Amino acid sequence: MATGSNQSRRSAHTRWYQSVDWLSVALVLGGLLLVYYFAPLLSLFLSASPGEVLGRLADPAVRSAATTSLLSASITTVLATVLGLPLAYWLARAETPWKNAVLAVVVLPLVLPPTVGGVVLLTVFGPNTLLGGTAAAAGVPLTRSLAGVVLAQTFVASPFVVVTAKAAFESVDRTLEHASRSLGKSRWTTARNVTLPLAGPGILAGVTLAFARAMGEFGATMMMAYYPRTMPIEIWMSFQSLGLDHAYPVAILLVVISVAALIVLNTVASNPWR
Amino acid sequence: MTLELARLTKAYGEFTFGPVELTVEDEVLAVLGPSGSGKTTLLSLVAGIAEPDSGSILLDERELVGLPLEDRRVGMVFQEGALFPHMTARENVEYAAASDERVAELASVLELDGVLDRRPATLSGGERQRVALARTLAADPDVLLLDEPLSSLDAPIRKRLRDELHGLFTSLDIPVLYVTHDQRTATALGDRIAIVRDGDVEQVGSPSAVLDRPASRFVARFTGTENLFEGTVTERNGDGVWVAVGDVEFRTAVSGVPESIIQGSNVTVCIHPSRVELEPADTSVDGGAGQANAVTGTVAHWLNEGNEYRIDVDIEGGALTLTANVRRPTFERLAVEVGSEVSALVPPESVHLIPEPGSR
Repeated sequence: MATGSNQSRRSAHTRWYQSVDWLSVALVLGGLLLVYYFAPLLSLFLSASPGEVLGRLADPAVRSAATTSLLSASITTVLATVLGLPLAYWLARAETPWKNAVLAVVVLPLVLPPTVGGVVLLTVFGPNTLLGGTAAAAGVPLTRSLAGVVLAQTFVASPFVVVTAKAAFESVDRTLEHASRSLGKSRWTTARNVTLPLAGPGILAGVTLAFARAMGEFGATMMMAYYPRTMPIEIWMSFQSLGLDHAYPVAILLVVISVAALIVLNTVASNPWR
Repeated sequence: MTLELARLTKAYGEFTFGPVELTVEDEVLAVLGPSGSGKTTLLSLVAGIAEPDSGSILLDERELVGLPLEDRRVGMVFQEGALFPHMTARENVEYAAASDERVAELASVLELDGVLDRRPATLSGGERQRVALARTLAADPDVLLLDEPLSSLDAPIRKRLRDELHGLFTSLDIPVLYVTHDQRTATALGDRIAIVRDGDVEQVGSPSAVLDRPASRFVARFTGTENLFEGTVTERNGDGVWVAVGDVEFRTAVSGVPESIIQGSNVTVCIHPSRVELEPADTSVDGGAGQANAVTGTVAHWLNEGNEYRIDVDIEGGALTLTANVRRPTFERLAVEVGSEVSALVPPESVHLIPEPGSR
């Protein structure tokens, strides 16, 4: 009978499936991925001795790149936070159909390839545009300048603040804000004493992510402000002109900074992916 | 203080609240209704969490509509307390209080001294609600709103807090709106009760008036009257009103029966189970003028509800089933068993007629 043979075939399959230890398979697959993440990092650290890294740190080009990166990423982070928090709060609390359209605009820089982001920015801030030309004439060039680096980084990194802080604000029960205001406290007092402290760890996570993203920004920065060089661009330059060995020390520096950001995420901030 | 709601309306999609007219003096008005009836909407409108579509909310002639929450001086105790989780109980109360003395005073009144330095997450439900109440009172509100503050508590704590709150509310001398879906809480705490249904205030009155003289079948059922029968008025004169439910006739005192109810009117007969007295079947009962309505029947079912027994009696061969609530001594004296014969006595003043025949 057809049914009978089907059944016997199925039970044979079952036996084959049962004989596999799926837990071990899962461990091997996951383990492979972890090795893939970690081995190159380890190999990077083994590629350059601490002495070499410190030696390269003395190189004025590297020091200048590190300074530019830290300074621009810090300015970017402050800008992204100051401009991003009100928008994030509005997105978390508003009850208008426009909300999703606005959110889509915020997320756009996240999904746009960074180099395309750079092209888009150049059409507004480039030296031959009205804005870029006027600014350059006034002595504030918006490309090939620190301002250009900050513009590029803000475009790419600020959505992290908005999106993460929005989620943090949403996690604060509105009833708590109503309770505060019904006690006679203004909106501002309520925001300062109730909303911000409760959303704090989430906001800090967004700020940290934005800083890390700004530190690593390459594509848009390359288009907007090839100079002054940031660390990612310095790595690219060293690799192009002097070879991979010369890119290692700066890369190690960037890894150290990224790991520090991760530590912040896992301690004081509320890691949005945990 | 007088809180006056006039022609207040608010629509949320399919749900329409109002128009509501309500005046609350320095008293506790218990707002009683099922979930989704608009109780919380009422509080939100007074507190300023939501703005009405039309109408006005006057607090001693001061218009509250249009004012932001923080300028209304309307205190609200939220359902789960809404304590700020990042502050201790003391910091929560201090946040609203004008002075340390006020914090100490409220802590002693509400017995919070032992818990002041703890975070809300470590407090019990009852402690949380007491802190929430202290925080609200610390702001010295002109009106106090409470949104089912006891609903999430265990029965013994709920009962204890209920007793404590009654004295406290009376001492406040401000309008207090206490929202609940629990009839016992409403009657225990309310100087008056407002029954809310589908966004409208269906009846307002003292607890005994609402319980004894419900204005509609809904109010009757929601306040625990299970005995609702369709009847027809057979006679109305100076001595009383007679109404027939099937073959059974009840007499009611003429006072309190609306003029619209005349001979031939179809009405709902409403008898609160606590007003039905049970006697052994062999007791000779006189159903004459001035006496209680007396009917005989057999016990169909009984249930121990803790404080009292609920007994369903099939009257006159099952034409109608009368439910009686009796205390334990009566229950034991009657030696109630399913099938045993009993007499049910209903005083005429406890037979209430609602001019609403259809079953809603």
